[in-house]
Amino acid sequence: MKNKKPITICVTGGKGGTGKTLCAVNIAVMLKNEGNNVLLIDGDVENPNTYLLLGGKLENKTEVPFFKPKFIEEKCTKCGLCAQNCAPHAILHIKNSYPIPMLNLCSGCQLCYKICPEDAILPDTKTIGWTYSTEINGLSLFLGELKPSEARSAAVVEALLSELDNIIENNPNKYDIIVLDTAPGAHCDVELLLDKADLIIPVTEPTRFGKLDLIRIIELIQLLEKDYKVIVNRSSLLGYRDQFLKELKESNIRILGDIPLDNDIVNSYCQGKPLMDMNNNFNKDGGGFVAFTKIYMNLKKWIDMKEIIQR
Amino acid sequence: MERKVIGVISGKGGVGKTSLTASLANIAKNDAEIKVLVLDCDVDAPNLAIILPAEDKSKIDSKDVYATLKASFLPDKCVNCKQCIEDHFCEFNALQWDEQNSVPIINYLACEGCGACKVLCPEHAFEINPVKSGEIISFQSEIGVPLVYGKTRLGSTTSGKLVSDSKEHAKKLKEFEESNLLIIDGPPGIGCPVIATISGLDYIITITEPTPSGLHDVIRAIEVVNQFNIPFGIIINKHDLESPFKEEFHDYIAKTGYNVLGRIPFDLSIPEAMSFAKAVIEYKPDSEASLAILEIYDNLKKVLWN
Repeated sequence: MKNKKPITICVTGGKGGTGKTLCAVNIAVMLKNEGNNVLLIDGDVENPNTYLLLGGKLENKTEVPFFKPKFIEEKCTKCGLCAQNCAPHAILHIKNSYPIPMLNLCSGCQLCYKICPEDAILPDTKTIGWTYSTEINGLSLFLGELKPSEARSAAVVEALLSELDNIIENNPNKYDIIVLDTAPGAHCDVELLLDKADLIIPVTEPTRFGKLDLIRIIELIQLLEKDYKVIVNRSSLLGYRDQFLKELKESNIRILGDIPLDNDIVNSYCQGKPLMDMNNNFNKDGGGFVAFTKIYMNLKKWIDMKEIIQR
Repeated sequence: MERKVIGVISGKGGVGKTSLTASLANIAKNDAEIKVLVLDCDVDAPNLAIILPAEDKSKIDSKDVYATLKASFLPDKCVNCKQCIEDHFCEFNALQWDEQNSVPIINYLACEGCGACKVLCPEHAFEINPVKSGEIISFQSEIGVPLVYGKTRLGSTTSGKLVSDSKEHAKKLKEFEESNLLIIDGPPGIGCPVIATISGLDYIITITEPTPSGLHDVIRAIEVVNQFNIPFGIIINKHDLESPFKEEFHDYIAKTGYNVLGRIPFDLSIPEAMSFAKAVIEYKPDSEASLAILEIYDNLKKVLWN
């Protein structure tokens, strides 16, 4: 008898190209292999790539609407109140003429619509991106995509998360585990997803660049008061590794596992066949395969502990 | 020569933006015709300063930026009417109701500083104030090239604005006045920080790699660049990467007819150079990767100044 909130694991990383999506996809696949109902959410809406690594197609496209003001000229008295109060200066008002919206700057706060004394502004919408939900080899995938040239990526992430909230509310037992994949960086899109997590897995690499960005993302994680464990990818890059690992240890940063450079990883990545999907027959003694197996065992320990605590 | 402002973007992260920027700056430094200045606009994860550290640490100029606006609540004015919640003043769900004390609470991270609460509250119980959004740091780097970079304060939620501010800041420096080439190292993605980075540029370098994600993301980046009508060239990093996707990738690039500025081979000199925090051109000037980047630099000059 299950009746619990699914455990949420969030894979992130600060720096770009450290292997976030690679890890998120393979962790989700390994959890699925063990019979869990897993939902993978791709929240890197600027560049959602999980489906490429899974070798799947995007289905069930849904538009993400975003507020835009609609001016009713017959009602407008050209008073300019809307433009005066628009913080991002997204409404241009020249004396004695109708206001002109500059939608690229609009934050969607709707203040113009709320304060117009003549009700001459109506809330309208434009599409700023899409969400998709699909199933690839037994793994459920939710994915958000920002429309190129739109800037409000956080609104697409919010759309994904509100769909998730709906599912959890209406059908709390549908998924055992949710795996989130974030964008690089430490901006609002990333924060929104980190905030949902029970465990955050920052993926880094043993270079000065990896370290600097790891420290930044950990600061953010600590600000949000979340639990985290690090994956060190490309751990066979030697130049800076020993110092890197020493510094992690000295800062009490716990490591979930490391992944060496490995040809099977590159091939699985390019073929859209996840390394850890048993149907793909990658070499089980290969460096990448062994590394992910260990990561899974460590993760499993954490999940078991979490479940005991939740019970 | 007329001054050009160019940017390096990629869509996908980790494909070589910073490595390339550092090498181009190094080459430009030794080019008598060029006076170069570099700007790191990856304000969430600024890394260029690792490869181009300050010549003299005591001469690092750092300026706090207060570009972020945040709401604050004035409890003395609040009459506990709850209208802010009931009428949904805040579209960003940054206002929540504290049942115990019957007052609104502001979620700092969610607040966009739009000012709706301030304007709509009949009791004027909200204020909007600028808060620190980050820093802009500038210095002379060891190789003699001036470097400027922005760095967000975590949780400030205005990366795009800080990018614009960093650009403004760089353009006011005397080093910019004296320069004829500004190279901007851009952030990954295609969202607001990237749009802020590329607006107003003379030329954009898009860098990619022959993997499905590399291609997918650069196509999205190019869609954005095209909206701004800025000329661009592609650089293919690790172009000889052996992968089942190789042919599809190269076919695609050939078919689109995009201007390919150059191809960089898969060369371990690059990760090695990075692990020693050096530009590859400085670390191993004779390596295949360095030779390819030299060629790219020549092509770039031709494109920029004919």
